[in-house]
Amino acid sequence: MTNLKERTMTDADEMANNNGRRMLWVIVSGLGIMMTAGAVAGYLAAHEAQGGGALGTAGIVTLCVCAAIITGLAFAIWRNVSKMKASNEGLTRREKLNRNMIYGFLLVGGAIGLLPAFYDTSVGNSDTGPALIFADSPMPPVMALMLVFFWAVIMPIIAWFWHKRAIDEQEASAYREGGYYAAYAFLIGAPMWWILWRGGFAPEPDGVAIFMLFASIWTAVWLWKKYR
Amino acid sequence: MKNQLKVLRAMRSWSQADLGEHLDVSRQAVNAIETGKYDPSLPLAFKISRLFALPIEEIFDDEFEGAHND
Repeated sequence: MTNLKERTMTDADEMANNNGRRMLWVIVSGLGIMMTAGAVAGYLAAHEAQGGGALGTAGIVTLCVCAAIITGLAFAIWRNVSKMKASNEGLTRREKLNRNMIYGFLLVGGAIGLLPAFYDTSVGNSDTGPALIFADSPMPPVMALMLVFFWAVIMPIIAWFWHKRAIDEQEASAYREGGYYAAYAFLIGAPMWWILWRGGFAPEPDGVAIFMLFASIWTAVWLWKKYR
Repeated sequence: MKNQLKVLRAMRSWSQADLGEHLDVSRQAVNAIETGKYDPSLPLAFKISRLFALPIEEIFDDEFEGAHND
């Protein structure tokens, strides 16, 4: 005789219930790859600045360790994505729409993030590269208008459709709760930073950093409440 | 809130995805309700009640044991 859990949980259910943890692994592994690749690039740039030439034993060992870390993290991503794909067989209609919208949004976000890497986006001595999106330096007017159009016109349409059609009430509740945490973090944190700056205890408040913290807290609580 | 959703679902041999499809919600929502991590809205509770043809109070238990004042 099967027990209640066996009767009520299919393989797809069981796998889907671990998708939050898997998604977290994918995000952390992705960040790990970026940071390790950045460390390798920095190491090679420093080596080049010191005259270049053949790497010593320590340098080769360092690069091998970094390569092993990147390979391990890439394997972790592949494994977790494969399991997430397998659990998607039993997705409900809403879940499929939700998943497709999030994938689409990530693709568009990634394309926007990579835009400065492929086009000359420098203005005078301003920053270039992917970090331009989050920097304070000037950017080409056309690019600024494109980003504003996406953020102020396209984003609200996608958000409206997502709220109305893709998510259910449990996710809406998780999203609202994320908003409460983020709002309180902002209401407490931003004035605190401003006052500490005026008192000479902290650097000047950074609007982009505050926005990123606000969005990160909102997203983290939303995913935690959705998948916990 | 404690509830009989898992038992009722088992009686019909439905997966969480099957029940989610009937209720037009995700598997996460079904799982969160079953495990008591999320209390459904009144409209969703009525939908569940109609689906299983049972009164809401037979599916959900708010563990209230006090006497009514009225």
